[in-house]
Amino acid sequence: MKTEFLTYLQERFGIPANLFDDFEFYGASKGRVYLGPKSAISSPEPVSVGFLAARIGNSIKPSTNLIQLFGKYATKNIINLNKENTIKYANGEDVIIDSKEFTDGYVILSYQGSPLGCGHAKGKTITNLLPKAKRLQLKFL
Amino acid sequence: MFDLFKERYSELVDDAEAFFSCLDSLQPRSFRVNRLKSTPEHIKERFSEYGISLEQVQWYEDAFISSEPEVGATFEHFTGEVYIQELVSMLPPVVIRKELEKARFVLDACAAPGSKTTQLAAIMQNRGLIVANDISYNRIRALKFNQEKAGAANVVITNRDLRNFPKNQFEIIILDAPCSSEGTIRKNFGIPSLWSEKHINNLARMQKQLILKAFDLLSPGGTMVYSTCTFAPEENEAVLHHLLENRPAKLEKILIPHLKLSQTVAEWRGTEFNSEVKNAIRIWPHHNNTGGFFLAKVKK
Ligand SMILES: C[S@@+](CC[C@H](N)C(=O)[O-])C[C@H]1O[C@@H](n2cnc3c(N)ncnc32)[C@H](O)[C@@H]1O
Repeated sequence: MKTEFLTYLQERFGIPANLFDDFEFYGASKGRVYLGPKSAISSPEPVSVGFLAARIGNSIKPSTNLIQLFGKYATKNIINLNKENTIKYANGEDVIIDSKEFTDGYVILSYQGSPLGCGHAKGKTITNLLPKAKRLQLKFL
Repeated sequence: MFDLFKERYSELVDDAEAFFSCLDSLQPRSFRVNRLKSTPEHIKERFSEYGISLEQVQWYEDAFISSEPEVGATFEHFTGEVYIQELVSMLPPVVIRKELEKARFVLDACAAPGSKTTQLAAIMQNRGLIVANDISYNRIRALKFNQEKAGAANVVITNRDLRNFPKNQFEIIILDAPCSSEGTIRKNFGIPSLWSEKHINNLARMQKQLILKAFDLLSPGGTMVYSTCTFAPEENEAVLHHLLENRPAKLEKILIPHLKLSQTVAEWRGTEFNSEVKNAIRIWPHHNNTGGFFLAKVKK
């Protein structure tokens, strides 16, 4: 699971595997993978370890939180949104992007060099994958 | 209720008039830069582009006071580069910054909603392990949200009554105790309807149990920070006194340049406190235009 995930991050986004040397990945139900500390504690039993890094099913979907933390190391399949699309994205809306810079699949969305999260590209349509709880009406950007 | 409150604190505070009028005034909006994702320099640049003027806090370079109250609607809040937090609430991690650099095993004993957990993770740069514990599962949801948003990967969350926490040896413990929250009155617009001396005494009983337990969970040579956001001596000096009478604890002096600190209360309602208690500090709202706070650094 760990190797599969790290290879994916490297191949799809160019995010180097050695960024995760100080961490451990923990598998959970429904294909969830958590990024956490190298050693956790066993007593008391934790209710959670680290944070959700990805969901692995038919495809590998990196989490918003993972992208916000490590997206700046990505070299490909990144889309730089303009101001208008950034507001839309933060609102939970899909965006339309006409560019040859990415291929179908998961993409990293960023604004002025800061990664926001991820979307799913199919042609020109980028499906919004921002969790509802994170939606925000941006006023200052 | 208000009369009782007034009477109580008029005798403890240096300038009662300034104190009460400060409690009636709005508190400045403050936030902390999350160094897992950003830097103070970057945030200064961004906010100046927005036309928001910032004041960098003298005693903590990661902390800012904002002229714009809606920090929550900034891009940097959306990405977790800034964390909205009351200034004095940032103090517990600040006074152990040195110790945190080397620490590998840290307990945030009453952690939800995670202001201090996320700050600890940032200071530790996601290294080592932070156990963030809270008794309330409901509040753990907010803790989890904030921890994930901050990118705090070195955190595990546990859901225990601290008093039943299994045996462990932590190098550092943050005990930000449940308290009567008198120091947050400014933020909460008015003295909480819950306020009563009975309520204070009930909390004090719990705090005494918590502090002994936390001390027992420290490794030899370890450091604990005990804090509350309340003025009541029962929940502050008396709790430390109880610790010093029951465990071989020492209190270390706290120095924070550029922040006006005040002495602890020497005696209250007939009890003269152990002289070590003097090493703890009080922060009165009107001295620095903040919330109220109490802070002690305990060594084992
Ligand atoms: C002052 S708040 C903590 C604020 C937090 N440290 C922060 O900075 O965001 C106190 C917390 O203690 C928790 N608590 C109360 N009694 C407890 C107990 N016996 N064991 C563990 N946690 C407890 C409450 O649920 C509450 O979340």
